[in-house]
Amino acid sequence: MNIAETGVAKSPLQKAVGHLTDWEGFLLAVLLVTIIANASMSDVFLTVNNQINLFQLSIEKIIVALIMTLIIINAEIDLSVASMMGLAACAFGWLFHHDVPIGLAVPIVILIGALGGSFNAFFITVMGLPSLVVTLAMLIGFRGLARVLVEDRGITDFPEWFDALGQQPLIGPFPLALLIFFALLVFFIVVLHFTGFGRYVYMIGNNKEMAVYSGVAVNRIKATLFIASGTISALAGILFAARVGAVRGDVALGFELDIITMVLLGGISIFGGRGTLFGAVFAMLIVLNLRNGMALANITHHLQTGVIGVLLILSVLLPNMRGMIRQFRESRASAKS
Amino acid sequence: MAQPILELRGMSKNFGMTEALKDFSLEIHPGEIHAVVGENGAGKSTMIKIMTGVYQPSSGEMIMHGERVDFHGTAEAQTRGVAAIYQEPMVFPDLDVAENIFLSHQGLGMFMNWRRTYEDARKLIARLGVALDEDRSANGLTLAEQQTVEIARALSLNVKVLIMDEPTSSLSAHEVEKLMAIARTLRAEGVAIIFISHRLEEVFEVADRVTVLRDGRLISTRLIGDVTADGLISEMVGRDASEFFARSGTQRRDEVALDVRDLTLDGVFSSISFDVKEGEVLCFAGLVGARRTDVALSIFGVAPADSGGIFVGSRKASIRSANDAMKLGIAYVSEDRRKLGLAMTMPVVANATLATLRKYMSKIGILNRSSEIETALKYRKRLNIRTPDVDREVGDLSGGNQQKVMLAKWLDADPRILIFDEPTRGIDVGAKAEVHSIIHDLAKSGVAIIVISSDLPEVLALADRIVVMREGRQMGIFDGETATQEAIIRLATGQSANEASA
Repeated sequence: MNIAETGVAKSPLQKAVGHLTDWEGFLLAVLLVTIIANASMSDVFLTVNNQINLFQLSIEKIIVALIMTLIIINAEIDLSVASMMGLAACAFGWLFHHDVPIGLAVPIVILIGALGGSFNAFFITVMGLPSLVVTLAMLIGFRGLARVLVEDRGITDFPEWFDALGQQPLIGPFPLALLIFFALLVFFIVVLHFTGFGRYVYMIGNNKEMAVYSGVAVNRIKATLFIASGTISALAGILFAARVGAVRGDVALGFELDIITMVLLGGISIFGGRGTLFGAVFAMLIVLNLRNGMALANITHHLQTGVIGVLLILSVLLPNMRGMIRQFRESRASAKS
Repeated sequence: MAQPILELRGMSKNFGMTEALKDFSLEIHPGEIHAVVGENGAGKSTMIKIMTGVYQPSSGEMIMHGERVDFHGTAEAQTRGVAAIYQEPMVFPDLDVAENIFLSHQGLGMFMNWRRTYEDARKLIARLGVALDEDRSANGLTLAEQQTVEIARALSLNVKVLIMDEPTSSLSAHEVEKLMAIARTLRAEGVAIIFISHRLEEVFEVADRVTVLRDGRLISTRLIGDVTADGLISEMVGRDASEFFARSGTQRRDEVALDVRDLTLDGVFSSISFDVKEGEVLCFAGLVGARRTDVALSIFGVAPADSGGIFVGSRKASIRSANDAMKLGIAYVSEDRRKLGLAMTMPVVANATLATLRKYMSKIGILNRSSEIETALKYRKRLNIRTPDVDREVGDLSGGNQQKVMLAKWLDADPRILIFDEPTRGIDVGAKAEVHSIIHDLAKSGVAIIVISSDLPEVLALADRIVVMREGRQMGIFDGETATQEAIIRLATGQSANEASA
């Protein structure tokens, strides 16, 4: 049997490309095709304004999708994110109406997010309940609380500077939310792909029992992820309030499904342990560009959703086919002498 | 001899450039137990998969009753009377025994005749000479009982050639005996049995003929009376057998590394007391269900005991988690590498550094990848892990090499007390010898070693002392030099608890 002299038998170029899985490569191709098609169909598509607008329309979703990526790689799920966004926005509106200054309301709301995340974390780690059930309950609970806080009215009388923060560029052409997204993106890429914490996230997602037997503090890592998810969702809720300039009980209603769709589309396995943030980002860009391009081409929202649905099914099919190929390779390897 | 029931002629199977079987020929006669032995990767699995229609051969032919057959799937093989049972039986837990037996019967019509089904199931089980209620739920059957169900299922399909692939590797000695009895019963009925096992003593006990496979080629087929164990081993590995299972001298020092006193976990085990010295190899022998693993897990902190004391060095230790145990220099190499040992879809390097990941993190947690790779390469060399590169998914490696990656993970923690749970189960003779020599080297460097093993020849070859357990109780401690298989089995089966000597 041949054993290469070096541990990693790849050239730097191979490495750069090889880091992308088949699916991520496919996503990249789809993304390029989408961008080229969009650009050829519409003159405004490639303008800075349109590009920023394209991000802005779904900015809260893609911010939350970052932490959702880590949670799903960890073989868990957080269905309560959109309800937490709603709760955060409503709590913010409520505080504002009770004359709490915005500078104080923001940290309070973010703390509420951390608290809500801790709630999830407690039931999932200490009580050992499945995150699917716990966060489904919180999806209902947080949303209920949000509706209690603002009842049937909408709150729209935020000061002008606050709305402007959500809508106008802050640095150069970039609005605040987009800057936050980029900062978090870099942060999470480093955390997931370059730190020990990220390695633990993958290992637990792969084989939780094994991680326990290897002395990994499984519960602490899971709890950290859920608290981070609550916190970031609350932040996204405030950003939503600023961008739309209004708060109602149904803020971000149903967003969790769009968020999870983007993550899964990015090649992150729903069973955990597989996928990268790069895949997730490609998927976000595809969804944003598809929707934007199809909107520019006057294609209805329903058809847009249909196209994304087809992609999602492919994203589940293709890695499975990869698994089948792997199995074949395995049986070949085991038959080797 | 009569006409063979199944014959392979010049069978080859290629996977791309790899030849898994090369011009392999075999004759199986009705009413014989035919053992097939060989190292992992010798081509046994490929042979089985061709016989059961999972693979189609690249060249060569298969003859049944003098007539050429081509199987395109297991269903076709089954209708011709070729079936296989495996180490891990395929039993549906939500169905009962009878339902499981008649699972694969097609064409029974739209409605089941339940009364007849249960009656037939009862008859089949009786034919095997075992006691098993046909209306018991399959959930809760032991592994051995599940195998019985599988054999009965094969019988119900009128099996002519039954392939048993490593059927005994997870069974207790008693269950192995029962399985052997079933095999003999079937032989008497004229069924041909192909018996695949890593345990040569079983081969000698039950087989009529034995075929050795190496590198996909037929090495020999002979009557069992014409071969010796050493002869088989050297044919399997292509080397001289003398180096295997040779006892080497003790490395035991005087300092006690681990002292366990009156360890009790209610309802699981009670009053376990022993010590391990630096450089000593202490083996735990016993049948499956003797609770040896539970004792190990309580020392490793995964399932702490209710009472009793664990002393490391000479200090009393409080171990409530695996992390506590690791801080004290204790490591546990699990028997279940798939579930508890490795992340199969992660690279070799990530698996090797998991237990010690902190070593590779900067203050803010950034991993030093090149130092990780360095470690993985070090262990690849030291443990002779066969992988072209350490970025390969560990699931792509063979069983023996996976075992070594798991070992690398724990060696990197530089443990002073190392617990091995069934370290050589399901790996081939060559890899087994390598694991033994690793254990020996570790002991030499002063590591205190505990080995849980159901393989008595292994226990006798490795142990300085042997603790025998039975159903959660400590039956006695033997000296490794003077212990015999018979004495250990007597204690492990509870036949005479009094003869234990310290």
